[in-house]
Amino acid sequence: MADQALQDTTKPDGPALTRAEIRRRRRYENPWFNPKLFWGAGILLGIVFVGLVGRVLWDPDLVFTGAGVLRLPPLGFENLRGQAGVLNHPLGTDGAGRDMLALLIIGAPNSLYVGVLASLIGMSLGIVLGFSAGFIGGRTDDVIRVLSDVMITIPPLLILVVFQAAFGDVNLTMMALLIAAFVWQSPTRLIRAQVLSMREAGYVQMARLSGASTGHIMFREMLPNLVPYLFGSFIANVTTAIVTAVGLEVLGLGPQRIPTLGRTIYEAINSGALIQNLWWWWGLPTALLALMFIGLLLINLGLDEVSNPRLRRL
Amino acid sequence: MTVLEIKNLSIDFPIAKGVVHAVSDFTLNVPQGRRIGFIGESGSGKTTTALAAMRMLAAPGRIAEGEIHLMSLGQTNIIKLTDDEMRRVRLRKISYIPQGAMNSLNPVMRVENQIWDGIIAHEGAVSMAELRRRSKAVLESVGLADHVGRLYPHELSGGMKQRVCIAIGVCLQPDLIIADEPTSALDVITQRHVMQTLRKVQETIGAGLILIGHDMGLMAQSVDDLAVMKLGELVEFGPVRQVLEAPKHPYTRQLISSVPVVGGQSFLDNPPAAAVADTTPARTVPLLEFEGVAKTYGSNTALHTLSFKLDDGVPKIISIVGQSGSGKSTMGSLMLGFSAPSNGRVLFQGRDINRLSAAERMAFRKDVQAVFQDPYACFNPFYRVDHALAYPFKRFGLARSPAHTREEMEKACRTVGLNPALVLRRYPHQLSGGQRQRLIVARALMLSPKLLIADEPVSMVDASLRATILKNIYDLKDKQGISILYITHDLATAYHVSDYVMVLYRGHVVEAGPPKAVIGDPQHDYTRLLIDSIPWPDLDRNWGSADDARADLDRLDPVAANPIFRGAVAGFELATA
Amino acid sequence: MARIPAAYLVNRLITLVLTVLIASTLIWIIPRLSPVDPADIMLGRMSAAGGTVADSEAILATLQERFGLNDPLWAQYLLYLRNVLLFDFGLSTASFPTPVSVLIANALPWTIGLMLISVVITFIIGNVLGALMVWDHSPKLVRVAIPAAMVFTSIPPILSGLLLIWLFAATLQWFPIAGSYGLLVEPGWSWEFVGSVIHHGFLPALSIVVVTFGFWALGMRGLMITVQGEDYTKLAEAKGLRPRYILYRYMIRNAILPQITAFALKVGLLIAGQVLVERIFAYNGMGKLLYDAILNQDFPVIQGVSYVIILMTALSVFLVDLIYPFVDPRIRHGRA
Repeated sequence: MADQALQDTTKPDGPALTRAEIRRRRRYENPWFNPKLFWGAGILLGIVFVGLVGRVLWDPDLVFTGAGVLRLPPLGFENLRGQAGVLNHPLGTDGAGRDMLALLIIGAPNSLYVGVLASLIGMSLGIVLGFSAGFIGGRTDDVIRVLSDVMITIPPLLILVVFQAAFGDVNLTMMALLIAAFVWQSPTRLIRAQVLSMREAGYVQMARLSGASTGHIMFREMLPNLVPYLFGSFIANVTTAIVTAVGLEVLGLGPQRIPTLGRTIYEAINSGALIQNLWWWWGLPTALLALMFIGLLLINLGLDEVSNPRLRRL
Repeated sequence: MTVLEIKNLSIDFPIAKGVVHAVSDFTLNVPQGRRIGFIGESGSGKTTTALAAMRMLAAPGRIAEGEIHLMSLGQTNIIKLTDDEMRRVRLRKISYIPQGAMNSLNPVMRVENQIWDGIIAHEGAVSMAELRRRSKAVLESVGLADHVGRLYPHELSGGMKQRVCIAIGVCLQPDLIIADEPTSALDVITQRHVMQTLRKVQETIGAGLILIGHDMGLMAQSVDDLAVMKLGELVEFGPVRQVLEAPKHPYTRQLISSVPVVGGQSFLDNPPAAAVADTTPARTVPLLEFEGVAKTYGSNTALHTLSFKLDDGVPKIISIVGQSGSGKSTMGSLMLGFSAPSNGRVLFQGRDINRLSAAERMAFRKDVQAVFQDPYACFNPFYRVDHALAYPFKRFGLARSPAHTREEMEKACRTVGLNPALVLRRYPHQLSGGQRQRLIVARALMLSPKLLIADEPVSMVDASLRATILKNIYDLKDKQGISILYITHDLATAYHVSDYVMVLYRGHVVEAGPPKAVIGDPQHDYTRLLIDSIPWPDLDRNWGSADDARADLDRLDPVAANPIFRGAVAGFELATA
Repeated sequence: MARIPAAYLVNRLITLVLTVLIASTLIWIIPRLSPVDPADIMLGRMSAAGGTVADSEAILATLQERFGLNDPLWAQYLLYLRNVLLFDFGLSTASFPTPVSVLIANALPWTIGLMLISVVITFIIGNVLGALMVWDHSPKLVRVAIPAAMVFTSIPPILSGLLLIWLFAATLQWFPIAGSYGLLVEPGWSWEFVGSVIHHGFLPALSIVVVTFGFWALGMRGLMITVQGEDYTKLAEAKGLRPRYILYRYMIRNAILPQITAFALKVGLLIAGQVLVERIFAYNGMGKLLYDAILNQDFPVIQGVSYVIILMTALSVFLVDLIYPFVDPRIRHGRA
């Protein structure tokens, strides 16, 4: 009521707000201008940037076994054997002498790659299935709805464990494909629900009156309005995919020959790094993953504010 | 005795661009037992003022200045009360009946619990038997049976829910009741019942009443004094008779004149002639034809078998009037080919519209256009508003060049009274409802269809703009030669604009004929009830008591499907078989 | 009055059955798509392991018979479905000839116990905090401190578990680093045993709680903001109800409903997360069983554990679905 009162007629006057307040209110009015989105994207881009630039500035071959002395601590620390960190391995080395910095430079983009690829494929499946269910309706809708209800219950980790136990080693892309088979359900459900409600929207009826084809209605009228939801669902799926991938790696599955953050943690735990206080070995990949998840969460919170104006509080 | 005194009240809403003065220097007294109407359009500050008396302003609104006194609390200024003291004032001294009847009750609590919790919050421990006795009594006072108390809100109709809200509002016999557009979501028949119920219980407990609304007719039928608000200011206040018969402020005059009245002065410059003499030779193929059309949804019949023929000689406006659920929107959707009839055929220029080839379908789409009820939903929020005008123009191959499209858009805008430079490149949310609805009319104008389906085109637009938009639509017939099917619940406008009226009730045509006969002198029980229920700005008219309204509603149930035909117009044939 | 509409019940039952059917089919079909026949490997391993076990020949012969490995594929599949329904997953290759079902039966109570504590506590804490973040009358501290803590809640429990082990078990040594009860403690209903179980279970449970409550809190916050704007909440305030009463009976009561639905959708991921936590804490539950099986390539155990965990998830969802009509009268008093 009051909101309407403000927009319609009464003229505002008199600047009576502090600068901080004005900034907050402007953020309220333009949701994309949002510190959560900004910081979240910043963190992720930072990780990608380090991954790309790191390959140039740092020797990626250091990820191989025996690249350096075993279990060296990061620069400025000392391990239990009294060895001090060296400049050649500023973040220390793991139990096989692999350089931690190189591991992070190679491993972090790998995790993001799996997450983004799996989520992209899941998303595309979700768009196709969600639009089909919402538009065609009837039997198609029933099948897609029940199938996504069923598949959303099954935790991907367990099926993937069975798969990898039977098939053995996989590469990153294969792992992303496998995970993608389990992350189409939530975008499907989301898009289906939105399409069903948008079908009755005035502007979709107007488009039909304008002789628009189904394709035009789906992609030109509906899809643009789904963007914040799709984006949010995409980010949530990236998170799920990375969690699943890391889970597999920590169980000793996943790619065996490519350095990944999860596999590094797996080896650290298995070698008793926790008890021997080799904190950098498991701690650095853990921290990097944590940072990645925080970045993803921030983006998601920011997107929530875009698609649900009520979350934008003054 | 005065129950509420508002002195020099000002309310501010700080926003990004500065401070909005939602209400400024508002002074008013509410005497005991008296009904005061607050009337004004959205944004006039009427609701904000009332909420201030409840101390329930939505953030970031705040009372900048002024005092509010509740007499039963002595000289205490309400604004100075602590939160807990204010809590105790609510419901016990001032109660509030909200606008959205549909959503005002807690969906997971039984109705009676929602009456009891109010009693307990103010009186502490009350025995179960006492609670039951009181909820029963208060439900009865609003005409609801005892067992309704044990239902959940989703099991009630809109009118019942709003009466439950009234029951809650009066259960502690407050000094003042604030009713915020309590009937805006209800149809006119239910509106009369709910409104009269509210008046009755308010009289019984002798409370003051503030009725917030935008409908001059409803005010005339319901209140003693009228406060007219515009842009946060009280522009006129006085006894309702004085305000209606001798309005001082031009805005009040505008509000009064914008209410169409059956039989009154037409708001059109060139109203339809009484009987259209069709001079063109009758064509063999009608423009639109319903051939034994019926529509069912599962076991529900939305529309009973109906046939009509509308020829394409002299353009006509055919009105289809009825309440929600009468089947009138189903008819609209059938004509547009949005849904297929369960029985019979819908023919446009002799072709079944549900069996068109792709090319024929395009032609059909171009020839049959629509204006829908909700101007807010009709624009895709992703695009600028000109998308809605330019897209169909190009799609139907009418555009010769981008410049041509632009020219036509601008011409259409000017025809409906919009400045193209100010509206076309805006996003939908930057325009008012009235502007958007006029753009939709402009869109129809650009496409120059043969038939226009106007489904409640003005029910969501501010009252002062309704007449203007209806004039725009009427001009489509008058100047562009477009035949129009006008679907509405508003009999007064149907009376003025149409050549022929069909009254629909529960999927049956109950009365049909020229508007002067059907609406001016109704014969069917249902049509009569509809017309009796319309609130008019006529103080001497008896709107009936709550019991009358109730009795009328009960009488309706066995309405027979025997339609009464009240004469015909050339070029339109109707049959119910 | 309070009964579940039949159509609703049937619908949920179909979902349950389909979930279990699809999951068990996937578990059966995946190894058969593998270039190496796991049945051969399984038998090979068993005969190798069986070298030291008396009567292994006879056991293997019965096995072959029971799994119908010489039958056509469809017959094997039907036989498998029957076996799965009877929780018969064959024998472990690593600890031959222990039946897989026995291993699972030993591990399952630990997992269910940990899940009940961690998942349920998390749900409650998260929702209460989420509600308080929105409520106008919450202490300022809650409304400021909690949102800041939210940032860490995106981290999966396995990572928080690592940190907790390192801090409280390896470094401070307040809690044991592995196991679900002390090695020297005799299992039974003694205070010593119960104390040991709590001592061992505390960190795994904590590592799940600290990072998952935020998921619920965030969801609840969004829902509470919506409910706060609803007309019924406004009317409740206009009725002069006590703020605390409005919070419980009007706001939380309505906002919790979609959270219960979300719980059903999320429970699979939660259980999977817990399996990983069990693995890093070497907690004697399904997670450790699964991890050991992967390490030893003990395929029957992997299959069995995966199936049982998925079944557990499906049953939890079904249970939530059964409870739901009792908290939402709109389902109970049938409305389309």
